Amino acid sequence: MAIESTKVSASETLTKTRSFGKIRCHNPSCMKRMEPTPGSKEITCPTCGMAYRIYWLGPNLPRIRGPVWDVNRKLIEKSGSSKNNPQ
Amino acid sequence: MDKFLTVNYEKCTGCRLCELVCSVVHEGVSNPAKSSIQIVKWEDEGRYIPMICQSCEDAPCQKVCPVGAITRDKTFGFMSVNYDACIGCRMCVEVCPFGAMNYNRTTHKVFKCDLCGGDPQCVKFCEVKAIEFVPAEVISSQQKREGAARQYAAAQKQASSIAEAAA
Amino acid sequence: MALDRKIAYINLSTGQTEIKPIPLELRKKFIGGRGLDAYLLYNHTPQGCDPLSPENPLIISGGLLTATCASATARAHFMAKSPLTGLLGSANMGGFFAPELAWAGFHHLVITGKAEKPVYLWIHNGEIEIRDAAGLWGKTSADTQWAIREELGDEEIKSAVIGPAGENLVRYACVMTGIKNAAGRTGMGCVMGSKNLKAVAVRGTMDIKISYPLEALEFNKKFIEQITSAKVNKTQGALGTPFIWGATNCWGGIRTRNFQYNQMENADDIEPEAIDEIANKTIGPHHMAGCFGCQVHCRTQYRIPSGPYAGKYDEGPEYTSLGAFGAEPDCKSAETLLTANYLVNQYGVDNLEIGSIISWAMELYELGIIGSKETDGLDLSFGNEKALLEMIHRICTRKGWLGNVLADGGVPAAASIGKNSFDYLIQVKGMNNLHSDERATPALALGIATASRGSDHLRSRPAIDLYHLPVDVLRKIYSSPIAYSGPLSSEQTEYVGKAWEVFWQENCYMAVDCLGICKYHTVFLGATLPNFEDWPKAIYYNTGLEFTPEDIWAVADRCNNIERLFNLREGLTRNDLSKGDTLNHRYFDEPLRRGAPDVIGLSIDRDKFNGMVDEFYGHHGWDQNGLPTAETLKRLGLDQEPTHLL
Repeated sequence: MAIESTKVSASETLTKTRSFGKIRCHNPSCMKRMEPTPGSKEITCPTCGMAYRIYWLGPNLPRIRGPVWDVNRKLIEKSGSSKNNPQ
Repeated sequence: MDKFLTVNYEKCTGCRLCELVCSVVHEGVSNPAKSSIQIVKWEDEGRYIPMICQSCEDAPCQKVCPVGAITRDKTFGFMSVNYDACIGCRMCVEVCPFGAMNYNRTTHKVFKCDLCGGDPQCVKFCEVKAIEFVPAEVISSQQKREGAARQYAAAQKQASSIAEAAA
Repeated sequence: MALDRKIAYINLSTGQTEIKPIPLELRKKFIGGRGLDAYLLYNHTPQGCDPLSPENPLIISGGLLTATCASATARAHFMAKSPLTGLLGSANMGGFFAPELAWAGFHHLVITGKAEKPVYLWIHNGEIEIRDAAGLWGKTSADTQWAIREELGDEEIKSAVIGPAGENLVRYACVMTGIKNAAGRTGMGCVMGSKNLKAVAVRGTMDIKISYPLEALEFNKKFIEQITSAKVNKTQGALGTPFIWGATNCWGGIRTRNFQYNQMENADDIEPEAIDEIANKTIGPHHMAGCFGCQVHCRTQYRIPSGPYAGKYDEGPEYTSLGAFGAEPDCKSAETLLTANYLVNQYGVDNLEIGSIISWAMELYELGIIGSKETDGLDLSFGNEKALLEMIHRICTRKGWLGNVLADGGVPAAASIGKNSFDYLIQVKGMNNLHSDERATPALALGIATASRGSDHLRSRPAIDLYHLPVDVLRKIYSSPIAYSGPLSSEQTEYVGKAWEVFWQENCYMAVDCLGICKYHTVFLGATLPNFEDWPKAIYYNTGLEFTPEDIWAVADRCNNIERLFNLREGLTRNDLSKGDTLNHRYFDEPLRRGAPDVIGLSIDRDKFNGMVDEFYGHHGWDQNGLPTAETLKRLGLDQEPTHLL
């Protein structure tokens, strides 16, 4: 048989890098890993201040549902982009 | 051993992997027409129901067989076809109320679920657990629990609507 | 070992059919599916032919692994010259059609000619029949399928059909199967309509031989575990593709109001979690469905909760619908989103294209480039949900001046509307973009600019570029099976190394499209999913064919090049705004205004973008005009094309 049946592929070795229970901040250069308290509804990134609403798909599978909108708006205005940018 | 193949059709996603696996295990080919499990679909409303041999206690296939080729397997309890005796009249196919007795176009033989010799492969591949292989008492206790949960939910709902009306 | 698999040529003008085996030599060179389709398209399409003419071949296929014991190989591929772009037309769909076609005895169909009156094809266990479709014409895509089953008396028939949009030659009409599976892009349904071909109905009970059944089963089990255990697929299995919305709408990657903003604020009602709640209420807790043999089950089932279509059963919405009927036209209600999703499924039209084109018209209306004269009095303001639904009806039935014009596609519509309307159209090669906003992600921008079927996210998008993966992980993925020692960057806003990522992904997606595997089972949304090194086993156990990871890479590279040759032959030039590898000026000129603090103010740097395109061409072995060099064609064995071996 010409194929190597026992060799472990790169993708198989990468499955070890999966992290359950954690989420990442979505601010591109921040991307800090955060571990929300089980069941919590919101989390604020301690590094960049972005605030997120959390949804729990399972006890160890939190996901970011979206931004906390009033914090999001403040951050947009702080970065000087409020001009011509109504809600 | 009283273990049954049992179906929870609400969980079925309709993917038909079980059909594929069954034909590959038994015939070495991919062909749902040669699978002992079939998903019946109502696509217009998204209902998918796996149809399997129910291993009936009073099995019509066994009763109708004119040559006594269908008997109950002593170890696993499923109905088994003795191909040395089978004359290929297909009466069993016509009489099965679940469509669980099938006919193989290539070999011209009837075929049905044999529980893969006690380790049903369809169960192994069904990630959502729409098909399970469990002891009889587990099935009934699971169903009791689910039924009780439904009754409890209905009672709660009624209680809260009474409370609302009172308020 | 040769595979006993067949191709059928069907001429609808003469009614003649011809069946041939597929030579092993072509399997080795193009594998199957989209790759072999591209070979057939290049060989069978007369240069410069009108996409709506009988000469344009419609090619339908399943992949090499379709209907085998490999995971999620349900994909069917459709190819023709596109009536939307005039270039490569190519679209892919899941469901149950492709495996049924395989059990019916065929892996590829080449349909040419034009029937005198509406017909459909009935393909059953090696036999092909052309049947009258007078009674089907005018029916919706779902009703057509049920009617065929009734007519032929078999509930197990699977059909690929067109709805009214395809009949009315809407240039971005799609081919549908089941409730919502669609070969959506580039107007393959329009090509069917032009041939008077309402449906291809298939039913098969023939064997697909598995070379090593027990090994194939065992490997499949492992494969499935690797796929279903990934966080991304667990999430997708619960919320469907809309799950992506959470991340992209946080950082600001959602085109809103056509292209004015990059985030849809306060749209909680159309978030995937909200749609999931509706599915829970209208269907129940188990409302996810799967395509053939797939354990990810990413297809949401729902009933429309309220409004004029309340109670109608539908599936989806995909992520694309959230943008097309949510963010782009700035409509925030779930009822409208789900209704629009239902309408496009019934009409059989590309949700992505129609939503994008209506949103463009809304921007033109806001700017005064079109007014109530053009809209026949309809208030086409952003956020007008009734107008959005009304425009879907009008376009699919070509009703009213604007409906008829928009049905021809963005570029011709811009020519009809005139003024500077073209400047606002978010398209590449004549096809509109997904609702994603790529101004903060140069890698994704390069992907849509160079995608072979026009602006698209499923041809080469390195979506994992958004995950901030460490460089060593990126290198592990992107340096195999072909070594790459150039730079790679974890930053999504960077330009370095991105051309290689796009090149690698382009080959990766081509490979899965040749095999017939769904993209959610490879490195698209999940970094830890199978790719080149994992496929040889699946191929060997199922078909007995021997391919190394490097072989598969070479095939993908070859197939991408033959698609390129087709596009060049039909008029692609690098900097042509409607037929080239470049982006609308707004990507360069209008900075982002919303989203995460890091992305606000960003736009694509024109020089750096051109540098990426140069680099991307270089990886392909193309010159600075994007033409494959003679050396590249020789290396890939394409220097003699067209070779007419099939």
